Amino acid sequence: MRFADLFLTAIEALFAHKLRTFLSLLGVIIGVFAVTALISLGEIATYGIRRGLEQVAGRSIFVQGEWAPGQPPVRFREADRRLLSALPVRVIPYVFAFAVGRDERGKPVEVRVLGVPGDLPELDPGVELAEGRFYTASEAKRGLPLAVLTQAAKEKLKASVGKRVELAFGPRRARLAVVGTTKPLGGLFATFNRPQAYVPYRWIWQNVPSARRGRYDAFELKVRPGVEMKLVADRVKALLEKRYGEGRIQVQSIETFTQTLSQITLMLQALLGGIGALSLLVGGIGIMNIMLVSVAERTREIGLRKALGATAAAIRTQFLLEATLLTLTGGILGIALAAGVLYLVVAAVPFFEVFILSPKTVLLALGVSALVGIFFGVWPADQAARLDPIEALRYE
Amino acid sequence: MALVELQGVAKVYRSGSGRRTVEVMALKGIDLTVEEGEFIAIMGPSGSGKSTLLHILGLLDRPSAGTYRLAGQDVTALDETEAARVRNRTIGFVFQAFFLLPRASALKNVELPLAYRGVPLRARRAAAEEALAAVGLEDRLDHLPSELSGGQKQRVAIARALAQEPAILLADEPTGNLDSESGREVMRLFSELHARGRTVVIVTHEPEVAAYAHRVIRMRDGEVVADEVR
Repeated sequence: MRFADLFLTAIEALFAHKLRTFLSLLGVIIGVFAVTALISLGEIATYGIRRGLEQVAGRSIFVQGEWAPGQPPVRFREADRRLLSALPVRVIPYVFAFAVGRDERGKPVEVRVLGVPGDLPELDPGVELAEGRFYTASEAKRGLPLAVLTQAAKEKLKASVGKRVELAFGPRRARLAVVGTTKPLGGLFATFNRPQAYVPYRWIWQNVPSARRGRYDAFELKVRPGVEMKLVADRVKALLEKRYGEGRIQVQSIETFTQTLSQITLMLQALLGGIGALSLLVGGIGIMNIMLVSVAERTREIGLRKALGATAAAIRTQFLLEATLLTLTGGILGIALAAGVLYLVVAAVPFFEVFILSPKTVLLALGVSALVGIFFGVWPADQAARLDPIEALRYE
Repeated sequence: MALVELQGVAKVYRSGSGRRTVEVMALKGIDLTVEEGEFIAIMGPSGSGKSTLLHILGLLDRPSAGTYRLAGQDVTALDETEAARVRNRTIGFVFQAFFLLPRASALKNVELPLAYRGVPLRARRAAAEEALAAVGLEDRLDHLPSELSGGQKQRVAIARALAQEPAILLADEPTGNLDSESGREVMRLFSELHARGRTVVIVTHEPEVAAYAHRVIRMRDGEVVADEVR
C-alpha cells in the first residue's frame, strides 16, 4: 500500500472515534503544554531579568579584592587607579564604610556608606537624583561633610534635603549635610533599595577610624561603547593579579551575572521540564493503552486486511502512523494551549515584558510528541502486525 | 498445467504442552488437482477439515507436510510477505460473514485489495466501479455496509474479490448468513462467474449450494472420501 493510502486509513480510523481520540490525547496535551509553557516562561523571565540587569549595571565592571584566609584584605592604591585609567574605561573608585543612624523613635538603622567622587550621576547613569543635587567634584576633593541619601535612607532616618543627619562610625559620631536624594531602583531590583549614603571618599579617609587614607575598596569601571566587556574584564584581572597575587582579585560584570542567571534558569527548566516529561510518559502510556484497545477491537478488520494482501509491514505502519498522528495532534493542541496561557500571563503580569514562543521550542515540542507516539505505538502496532489472519477472522 | 496441485498435504494442530500435548490431524495427506475454469464444492460435516483445506488453498495457513503448487509456483513455504503478495494478486476470498469495513462505502471496500497492491486511486476506483457493476450494484457505490441487505453485502464482497482479477475465487460458506432467496441470488452470481471462465472453490455443508458446482469433493476426518464430477 502506498504511504498516502496508509496515511488516509490512519486518519479515518482516528476520526471514527472522535471523543475517545480526544480523551486519550489529554495526557499528551497536558504534557506538551507543561514542557512548552515552562521552557517559554523561562525564556520570558530570563529576558526580563536581563533587561533589569542592563538598566542597573549597564556596561559596568566591578573590581574588588577577593577574601583569602589569613591574608589582609586587598585595598587598592592611587597607582592602581591610574593603571586602570589607561584602559578604555572610566574609573569610579569606592571606599566602603558602615554607619549607624537613628530613626524617629531612636532605634538604630544600619546605613551603608559609599565613598565616591563628586558628580556621580554624570559618571554612572545608573544613579539618578530624585531631589537636590549631588556634591560636586571640587566639594568632594575638599572632603566636605556632605551626603546624598538613597530613598530608603531618607525615609528610615527621617532626613530631608537641606538638613543634617547624624551617623555613628563606631565610637565616632559625625554630622553630614544632606544635599540630595537618589531615585529608588525600579522593577525587579526594588528589593536592593537599602539605606545608603553617598559621601566624598576623602571625608571617609579623614573621619572614619577604620578607613585608611589613600586606599580604595573597589573600582567600578564604565566600559566605553564598542569595547568588548570580556576583554577588558580579563585585562583588569591580569593587571591587578600581578600586583596582589593569583586569585586575590574579583572581577564581576553583567556577563558574569547573566551567566549565573542562565545556569539557574537552565536548572529550573530542567527540573520543570522533567515534570513535563513525566506527564508525557503518563500520556504516552495512555496512548499505548488506547492503541492496544483499538488493535483488539479491530482484530477482524486486521485479519481481513491481511487476507486481502496486506503485509505485516503495512499493518504495522498503519497503526504506528495512527499513534504518531494521535500524539502529534496532542502536541499541536498542547502548544496552542501553552501559547494562549503564556499570552494571558504576559498580559497580566507586568514583570514579564514580552511574549516569547521560539520556533526552537515549538519544534522541540512537536518532535517530542511525535517521538512519544512512535515509542508507545511500536508495541501495539507490532501486536497488530503479528496477528494470524485465520485467528483474526474467527475472532468474535 | 493445473491451477492448483496439492500433494500429500497434511495439517497437524498441537494444543497443550509437555506430556499433555494433544495432536489433531486436521488433514491427513490430501492430493488434489484443480484445473482452470472448474467450479468445485468442498462438502463435509464440521471437523472434516474442509475449512483447513480452504485456508491452505488461500495461503492463510501453511501445510505441516506435503507440497502446494499454485499457478505453477511452489507456494508451500512462502514467507509472510510473499504469501501476502500472492494472496493479493492471485486469490479472491468470499467469507460467510462478508467482512466489509463498516465505515467504508461499497466502493472503498472494493478498492481495498487494489490499494494494498499499490494501484493509484483513479485506476482502482475505475476497477472497483466495474466490479460492482458486474455484481449489479452500480447504483450502490456510496452506500455503507449498514445500508445494504445481506445479499447486497455478499455481492459487494464478491465484487471486492473480482476487482483483484484473481486466478481463483475461494468462498467459505458464502450463503451461511443469508436467507434462501438471497442465497440463491449469490449462487447464481457464482455460476455466472464460472460461466465466464472463473475458477471457483466453495466450502459448504448445504447440498443445495453444492448443487451449483460441477465437481463435488466430500471430506471426512481430514481425508477426501469422494470426488465426483457431474
